[in-house]
Amino acid sequence: MSDDLNIKKTSSIKTKSSSVSGGGTDIDYVRPAELPEQDLYHGHSFITKWIFCQDAKVIGIQYTLTAVFTGVVGLILSWMMRMQLGFPELFPFLTAESYYQMVTMHGMIMVVYLLTALFLGGFGNYLIPLMVGARDMVFPYVNMISFWMFFVAVVVLMASFFVPGGPTGSGWTLYPPQAILEGTPGSGYGILLMLISLSLFVIGFTMGGLNYVITILQARTRGMTLMRMPLTIWGIFTATVLALLAFPALLVSSIMMTLDKVLGTSFFMPTIIKAGEMLSYDGGSPILFQHLFWFFGHPEVYIVALPAFGIVSDLLSVHARKNIFGYRMMVWAIVGIGALSFFVWAHHMYVSGMNPWFGFFFASTTLIIAVPTALKVYNWILTLWRGNIRLTTVMLFCLGFIVTFVNGGITGIFLGNVIVDVPLSDTYFVIAHFHMVMGIAPLMVIFGAIYHWFPLITGRFLDETLGKWHFWVTFLGAYSIYFPMHYLGFIGVPRRYFEMYDSPYMTSAVGMNEFISVAAFIVGAAQFIFFYNLVKSIRLGKPAGKNPWKANSLEWLTPQVPPEHGNWGEKLPVVHRWAYDFNVPGAKKDYITQTTPPSEVIEAEVEKT
Amino acid sequence: MSGFIKKLFGALIQKPWEESQVKVDNFHSGQTFSTLSPQMSAVIVMFGVSTVLFSLILTGYLYSVPSDQDTMFLLKTKLLWINTFVLFFVAYVFRKITKDLKNNKILKLKKNLVQVGALSYLFLFGQIFFWFHLMDSGKFVATNSYFTSFYFFTALHGLHLLGGLLFWGKVCSSTLKLENDKILSQKKNIEALSLYWTFLLVVWIIFFLIIYVFNDAVIAWCKSLIS
Repeated sequence: MSDDLNIKKTSSIKTKSSSVSGGGTDIDYVRPAELPEQDLYHGHSFITKWIFCQDAKVIGIQYTLTAVFTGVVGLILSWMMRMQLGFPELFPFLTAESYYQMVTMHGMIMVVYLLTALFLGGFGNYLIPLMVGARDMVFPYVNMISFWMFFVAVVVLMASFFVPGGPTGSGWTLYPPQAILEGTPGSGYGILLMLISLSLFVIGFTMGGLNYVITILQARTRGMTLMRMPLTIWGIFTATVLALLAFPALLVSSIMMTLDKVLGTSFFMPTIIKAGEMLSYDGGSPILFQHLFWFFGHPEVYIVALPAFGIVSDLLSVHARKNIFGYRMMVWAIVGIGALSFFVWAHHMYVSGMNPWFGFFFASTTLIIAVPTALKVYNWILTLWRGNIRLTTVMLFCLGFIVTFVNGGITGIFLGNVIVDVPLSDTYFVIAHFHMVMGIAPLMVIFGAIYHWFPLITGRFLDETLGKWHFWVTFLGAYSIYFPMHYLGFIGVPRRYFEMYDSPYMTSAVGMNEFISVAAFIVGAAQFIFFYNLVKSIRLGKPAGKNPWKANSLEWLTPQVPPEHGNWGEKLPVVHRWAYDFNVPGAKKDYITQTTPPSEVIEAEVEKT
Repeated sequence: MSGFIKKLFGALIQKPWEESQVKVDNFHSGQTFSTLSPQMSAVIVMFGVSTVLFSLILTGYLYSVPSDQDTMFLLKTKLLWINTFVLFFVAYVFRKITKDLKNNKILKLKKNLVQVGALSYLFLFGQIFFWFHLMDSGKFVATNSYFTSFYFFTALHGLHLLGGLLFWGKVCSSTLKLENDKILSQKKNIEALSLYWTFLLVVWIIFFLIIYVFNDAVIAWCKSLIS
């Protein structure tokens, strides 16, 4: 195996590193290329170049645009929900039924079709081949099919807005039996289209995930060991493994529920008497669905979080001009969190009832997972410590991520305890917690990442002034929305309610609900500053040139910016170091790229981390 | 297996910034598992995904199987034994193909590859025939959770097999067109195909044992768990 190379043999290998690295002494010699070059299909027409394209970078952009479109739909739905909660009955079309449909679609769109697709499909496709030094994904055709499956899944999901009965209103968890029984909004075509869409999404993702994992494990360039990979790739890799193992649970439960609905099977349907009449269902278990759903659902949190962790680590390191503190610990934490995430799912089911020993087990594992997570937070802060921090928009979003993630993470520790969770479970405290940790925190990373990599994708910078406006309105606005929700939870305001009617909450929470709604409208509107910035900067942005942030990782070292199909011109790059050599004592510049051979930085001293 | 774990997790203790590690790392080929082709790697990853998928279905079955199951029709027929034998025979033919590849017996290899497809379709039609047989006896997918699980599992296994047959079709058509000396270019694909079918067989045997051969014992065990 390639890793088992005997160091004694190295003197006999006499192949010089390729063109990207210079150098000319023995210390620059690298292993000769053993594998044949990958055959790529280059599209010639508009359709093969931009629509049915096999270039991972184009596929990444296609994923991103589709995911952002669904995100805008999710945002508009959240505005409508806040309209109802802040100013009840102001708009007659906001009925209880439509409210629940909006809640359901907002949740599913944001978690699955925006965040998962954007991090893995968008960033994964664009960055994996570039960052590991490959020409493309190992199976480009399958990768293309993956995107189109996702696209069809989105079309099917959106179609549910237009079918009789509208989309499903069963809540984003789609709990049976109510999800498929009359009385729940969208219990006809709506739920069916949702389940079909989810199944298509999983099948499509599996094709993409196969590519991500194999490209990372088997198609890296020479010298790129696993422990030289940027943390972005570690995050995406681990999240993809989690997704490949967790999504089958969603697929199985979706198919089973579809069969329950269409063929009258009873996977999840117990004996039910409706209006005095016994339905044909018998013997199924709704709890089984909950187990399957959360076996997917909790790893899903980390499928979103781990790429965010990886990306933010790289952005912090580049924009603080400092090597990432505790690289190995960061990798261990990513892998550890990934493994532990499969043993915590039932903490979402405390209120469903379970053996107390199970409650004890799942509470313990939930608290244990906080250890590697906290370790990462400490390491981000220690990376900033005495760094040469540049307060760019990218850095601001990274700092915003740390704050919102710590906030949401700590409330997660509250909810991991059974005795705290049970009274808070059905309140706005939970809404506040998961929007902080899984909504705002990853979005901060997404925005930071787009500001960071936009010059690579387009060759131009995004406007910094507009970027800072975008950050501050989003960050302060998001706090204005979700911080008060913790209080609403503490005073017992229940979530999922369409309206509080004449309950005591009318007097104590009405003002706060109005405030939250206004903040939500402003934060949503602020995103259009970002969209304007994107559109404007594509043509009119300041030209960025090559490697504008003076980063070390391979994606910035392509011969052309933006990189062309095949990424690397004639020769693949050769890697001589990790991606975090910033401000190395003795080096002439404050960064040493991964392709810089040792002979060019002979004076540089290696630092411990 | 231990080598695989060592390979995957042993890397995690490396210190890429240390001079001694730098020397080792500079000679790294970029592949984590240098003996595995991308095709073989893809099949192994699919193993992982399918294992989870089928495990969850079996867990669901064991979780929800009621105490009074009508499995009588299923236990009377012998057709499932024949189908199982067909799948075993496919595995045997693949073993012959591996030998043919090693000994450069190209004509035999081509014949055996066609045989694999024919036998796999035979298995598939056998399963569908069994389904019709089952429905004729009044046992439908919604009859009870035992039959629901049976239909569901066999349908997914059949789809899994169909996916493999698509892959087989692609490999077989290009292999049959190739000249004898160029057939080795398909070696990696044929090896991956062989591994895929082995997995199909393993999944089927586990299912067959649980829901058919030791069906009563499994149900009794489930009952004891519930009680």
